[in-house]
Amino acid sequence: MMETIERVAAGQAKIARLTGELRRVILGKEQTIDEVVAALLARGHVLLEGLPGLGKTEMIKALSRLLALDFRRIQFTPDLLPTDITGSHILQERDGRKDFVFHQGPVFTNLLLADEINRASPKTQSALLEAMQERRVTTFGETRVLPDPFFVLATQNPIELEGTYPLPEAQLDRFMFKVEVAGVERSVLEEILVTRVRGEPPALDPILSAADLADLFALVDAIHLPRGVANYAARLVAASHPSSADAPEPVRTFVKYGASPRAAIAIGAAARARALAGGKPNVGFDDVRRVAAPAMAHRLVLDYSARLEGWDGRRVVDAIVTSVPEIERGLPQTLEAR
Amino acid sequence: MSDLPVSIRRRLRQLARRLSLGLFLDIWPRWAAAGLTAAGIAALVCRVLVPRASPYLAWTWIVPAMAIVPAAILGRMRRFRHEDVLAAADSLAGGTGTLLAVAETSDSRWNDSPMLARAAAFELPRLRPWRRVKPAIAAAAFLAAALAVPQRTARASTALADDIARSLASTVAELKQQQLVTPEEEKRLEEAIERIRRDAGRRVDASSWEAADALREQLASDAAAKQDAVKWAAQSLERYASAANAAGGLPPADGAEAAELSKALEQLAKSGLLAGASRDLQAILKSGKLPSDAAALRELSASLSQYLKETNGRFGELAKLGKEFGRFNPSEFPLAQGDASLDGDGEPGQGDVTRGRGDAGLTFGKETAPFDRFKATPLPPGAARSPDDWAPVVELPGAPQGSPELSASAQARSYADAVGQGAWRRALAPRHQSAVKKYFAK
Repeated sequence: MMETIERVAAGQAKIARLTGELRRVILGKEQTIDEVVAALLARGHVLLEGLPGLGKTEMIKALSRLLALDFRRIQFTPDLLPTDITGSHILQERDGRKDFVFHQGPVFTNLLLADEINRASPKTQSALLEAMQERRVTTFGETRVLPDPFFVLATQNPIELEGTYPLPEAQLDRFMFKVEVAGVERSVLEEILVTRVRGEPPALDPILSAADLADLFALVDAIHLPRGVANYAARLVAASHPSSADAPEPVRTFVKYGASPRAAIAIGAAARARALAGGKPNVGFDDVRRVAAPAMAHRLVLDYSARLEGWDGRRVVDAIVTSVPEIERGLPQTLEAR
Repeated sequence: MSDLPVSIRRRLRQLARRLSLGLFLDIWPRWAAAGLTAAGIAALVCRVLVPRASPYLAWTWIVPAMAIVPAAILGRMRRFRHEDVLAAADSLAGGTGTLLAVAETSDSRWNDSPMLARAAAFELPRLRPWRRVKPAIAAAAFLAAALAVPQRTARASTALADDIARSLASTVAELKQQQLVTPEEEKRLEEAIERIRRDAGRRVDASSWEAADALREQLASDAAAKQDAVKWAAQSLERYASAANAAGGLPPADGAEAAELSKALEQLAKSGLLAGASRDLQAILKSGKLPSDAAALRELSASLSQYLKETNGRFGELAKLGKEFGRFNPSEFPLAQGDASLDGDGEPGQGDVTRGRGDAGLTFGKETAPFDRFKATPLPPGAARSPDDWAPVVELPGAPQGSPELSASAQARSYADAVGQGAWRRALAPRHQSAVKKYFAK
């Protein structure tokens, strides 16, 4: 059974309010906002990559204000330690007795902003691995569950590479989406100048409570994923492997390792969220197509020749989406869709 | 699918039919092209190697129609399943997934939604058969070109072999018609003709013509021998009749004519020419006894004479037989006009500068008699010259006068005393001086 028209419409309205408010704060970034919201509704983590000053941090801060959730921010630096994130045991005296008491780190929150995540050492970055995947933290042999929901919204700067530590593949794979934040058009810049005094964003009030969010999560999970569409998503991921028979030429040439099954899971979850945002009770081929690039691009391990030829993950995924037909068999060659 | 609205089901059935048609048009041209190409190759082979298949080559045009059968079978095997049709319909409708979802969940609550109505309002894909038919058209053009190739006839050697055999067979048939060959001879000749035809069928060369000519010559030779036998019989009969007339109608007392006639008739019987004679005549001739009374002898003489005349007449009709045998007929190569002056007296081999016509027969008889013109003249006997038989032609001053018994070196030394000193005074190359000294020092 699918969700009722009314429930889907109600969920769509809530999402529309959220995205509307975000668009009011971040101008000219509709696609970025849609992708971030889709990942949020799919309970996935997001890595925002872009040049400084494009509003990455501002978007996450705005999101935290709109959602009535606990929000923490960690500014990643080279001397940041894992315990600065997860928390540590501190020797304390209580009732004349000394004991180690655990002090929670900033990871114990609902919405964690990991600003400039690639500036921390790999040891510190890896402190987030367990937290992001299993939503728990283990210190001194004690495992502690993180609050629900738990999102990591990280940012990184693609050009300042000195003194940075690129995220390892295992860390990247934990992010549902890697959203590339592009620059804005001149008209948007003009609008920013006119409407923002000293660049301050408009004041925001929470519009989604934790209960609303939980309801939306349940609604997203109830969105029906037809088998034919799931087949399409699976074929997209399979085609990202150079050894696949369906792999297009760019994949065979530039990709060393294709996307993991986690990518397929991410596509399915994000496509459900997109479908709900579009007011549909089911996932369609179009939803899968839209989320394929942010979900797969950062999971591809490209050959060095890809960089030389100017191919990045997004371009390769676009080639995959173009080459893989929506229906497995494809239309007969003597037929042409109008 | 049964839970979907009727209008959508109808539309899906239309799509399924369109997909089946598209699938068939995907498969059929390939089979047709392959079939037409194969037919074209077969047609080319038949045009070159199998002339007998020529009347049936037009049937190759039914290959495209025959290709319908495997194409239909394959299309049936690869047909779109219901899920595939639904996915195709959904994709054609914009890929919203609604059609798939409603069909999978059988959730009738969405049947009336505008979303499903939009999803069902897809347009059927357009047929583009020319995309796939191009190879079949090219293959059809190839077949047409192959059929347009002129039919190659039987190999020249076979035709020539048949020609040779036909010519020989007609000769034999003519001989048979004239009752000039016995059945045994006819059988032997047919076997020989067949052997010549078979050999010439494999390869025609000079030996084929030579074999045919040899057979013809044999035929002519046999015919000539038979004609000689007939003539001899007629002449011996004439002599016998003359002798009988001289004896008053009775058999001549001298049995020489009778013996000759008997031998001639025996020879005639051996040649098989008596097969056509009357029974009475055959009975008399087989008995080997000539009639003793004058009336019977006259009657035998008359009937035998008549028969021999007829038989000889048959040979007369075959007189031209031998002339047809040779392949080279000089009359087919007339002399060029205006070259008569170069032809000498016009006789073969008696020409002037050009030695005349080249078709002179290799005859012997007009040559110069060598032993009449050149008489043998014996040469004087030869004698070895004596070593003493010599005389000086000229005396050179200072020539050695020594005895021949002297050795060469001693003679040289004495000669050196007289004239050789001049040599020492000559400028002698140092490398020669030692050799000269060594020689004269002996």
